[in-house]
Amino acid sequence: MSFRNYKEKIDEGDTVILYLCNNFFAIEVKPEIKNKKGELIENVYQTTFGALKVRNLIGSNYGSKVELSKGWGHILQPTPELWSLTLPHRTQIIYTPDISMILLQLDLVPGCVVVEAGTGSGSLTHALIRRVRPHGHVYTFDFHDHRAKVAQEEFQEHGLADFVTARHRDVLAEGFGDDLKEKADAVFLDLPKPWTGVPHAVAAIKNDGGRFCSFSPCIEQVQRTCLTLEQQGFQDISTMEVLQSEIKVSRKTVPVRDLSFLKHKKGTVQLVQVPRPTQSGPPIDLAADTLTQVSYDATVACDEDRSEANKPIIDRIPRANILNVATRISACMAADDVPKRMDLTPIEAPNTLAL
Amino acid sequence: MISRGKKRSKEFDLELTAEAVNLIEEIGLKVSGADNRNIYDDGRSQKLSASEISDLTYDSTKASDIVETLITNSNTFHNKTEFSQEKYLKKKEKKYFEYIQILRPNLRIITEILYRLDSSKVQGIRIDTLSQIITLSNISNEGNHLLYDSGSNGLLAAALLSAMGSEAKGKLVHMHPGNMSQKQALLAMNFDSEQFNKCLSVNVYSALRQVYQGCDTHTQKETVLESECNLKRKATDEIEHEIKIPKLDDSQIPIKDHDTDESNVAKKKPKWHFDNIAASEVLKNKVDSLVIASKEDPQNIFLELLPFVKPGRQFVIYYTVAEPLQNLYMILKSTSNVAALRLTCNWMRNYQILPERTHPEVMMNGSSGFLLTGYVLK
Repeated sequence: MSFRNYKEKIDEGDTVILYLCNNFFAIEVKPEIKNKKGELIENVYQTTFGALKVRNLIGSNYGSKVELSKGWGHILQPTPELWSLTLPHRTQIIYTPDISMILLQLDLVPGCVVVEAGTGSGSLTHALIRRVRPHGHVYTFDFHDHRAKVAQEEFQEHGLADFVTARHRDVLAEGFGDDLKEKADAVFLDLPKPWTGVPHAVAAIKNDGGRFCSFSPCIEQVQRTCLTLEQQGFQDISTMEVLQSEIKVSRKTVPVRDLSFLKHKKGTVQLVQVPRPTQSGPPIDLAADTLTQVSYDATVACDEDRSEANKPIIDRIPRANILNVATRISACMAADDVPKRMDLTPIEAPNTLAL
Repeated sequence: MISRGKKRSKEFDLELTAEAVNLIEEIGLKVSGADNRNIYDDGRSQKLSASEISDLTYDSTKASDIVETLITNSNTFHNKTEFSQEKYLKKKEKKYFEYIQILRPNLRIITEILYRLDSSKVQGIRIDTLSQIITLSNISNEGNHLLYDSGSNGLLAAALLSAMGSEAKGKLVHMHPGNMSQKQALLAMNFDSEQFNKCLSVNVYSALRQVYQGCDTHTQKETVLESECNLKRKATDEIEHEIKIPKLDDSQIPIKDHDTDESNVAKKKPKWHFDNIAASEVLKNKVDSLVIASKEDPQNIFLELLPFVKPGRQFVIYYTVAEPLQNLYMILKSTSNVAALRLTCNWMRNYQILPERTHPEVMMNGSSGFLLTGYVLK
């Protein structure tokens, strides 16, 4: 029931999301489950950090920490976005970047009636329900009998049955049915031959107009759909592709190679001014590439206590603004031994931005 | 659109029409060339002069007449390929077919218009990024939501409010650093008053002061004046700076608020005074999502607003470039009150889909802005 509205405490029967080490897992909160022999046994969820007694979740708050036998994780309330990441795949699913665009392009607001085909694993359906409830309704169809049934059961379990109707129907062959005639504000098709569904969509869309969206992997499908849409009197047809890329942020220590000493004969210049001060001044963040963006830490930002043991003696020379070349190179070597950690001294932002 | 009499008049009368004429169907393409090997851009292909064309525009009642005259006087039109002719007619259609369509405003259209007019005025929030802000903050019909927005012309408030719907129980606390909230997009959406009033637009200083110090009561006139002063503070000021500042330039203060007479103050409480109190009530009960789209560095704003978000809920921070969000990411990584941090950016491309002419659209804007999202922990 945890999909229906914002909740603070976990109840029995909720679906919850366990967040563990950058991974999400959906868990149904049932204190006991049946084993292979059909006997009721204690529900224990196994993770890489050990076992989680599901019974203990009941009554605790969403967003709180839960103990596992070898560590801990956090429990979150499922949202359509988290559900897309954790749901059992029965088909290929639509992910959040596309879902977001679909919701906006279909002009959906609470109160709208929206028709979807096919239901698939219900990833988009959950997001549609959230957007149109409580007064709107989602009608979703799948030509696969079992999928339609499982979806309807899932909506029931999630407490969403009031806002959605999942039916088994081949809409390309049969249309959306008379009871949906001129009822829909928007129609969404994710089908192999969406163009054959366009006339049915026209029949389902309200008399004063509505939006249509089709989601296709191949450009040939898009072409045929666009032609049909134009023939059927649709206006304002646009086609788009959306990609979301995640930027990984991590701190890396990189060696700095100083070549300036080569300008002088050995012995003539004892001390070389280091271009970037190590600890007294703010280190400099170098620019990084777009996909895997990395904040380079130009200084040897190893934490003193930790690295003391495996640090070469030469690195114990007190650090200052002035270093000689040898120290710098060995310092870099030392840095390689240090595990790359996230909690090193934070780099101060180079304020190159025009705010 | 029908021109109002005078030549080169920019005034038009609107006339309702059942159907717009399709120029390509009207004219009908007969002969077309195979390629452009015999077409030279020497400026001599059109026999009519510019003034003759403008006379023609004025005299003709039908746009297809204008275009047909243009074509018959063109040396090259019949040598153009079919595709090129179609493109030419499309262009002329835009120029001489003066139809307008009146649509009901919605978020998609408003976003598109604002972004096209001047994307810097909406902090470069592109439609794909905006759509993700709405979904990732898990806005729905119920619940209270908190938005800090310093300069998207009300686009974010409009977006969140539209996702909350008209019969929502919740409120949207729309914090801004300025004197007045930006409302352009919010007003453009034509929300009914019930939905519009769900948006409590408050100055961030006044609202937080009200929460922590509760000073904006109905009797204390000094605090009212103090909040007025706060309203004057500039967007770039930091929240945790000393808030008490001397009263600024008198001329800037609206006259009705300037009245220091105690009885008058009581009578003439401005709307923001009540909005502040309402917003602080919402904040005290905590909100179900936090969205920040700031021009300032988001770090302090986020850390100050985080305590008002219920545990387990989402937050979304938008910024035009990645660096401030990278810094915030590193800082939040080392704390234990947020989870599942993600820093993302978007790529979007529109396509022209025409038979045998399908290709990505030529104009494409590469800047989508960046989103830092995550969940608040207990």
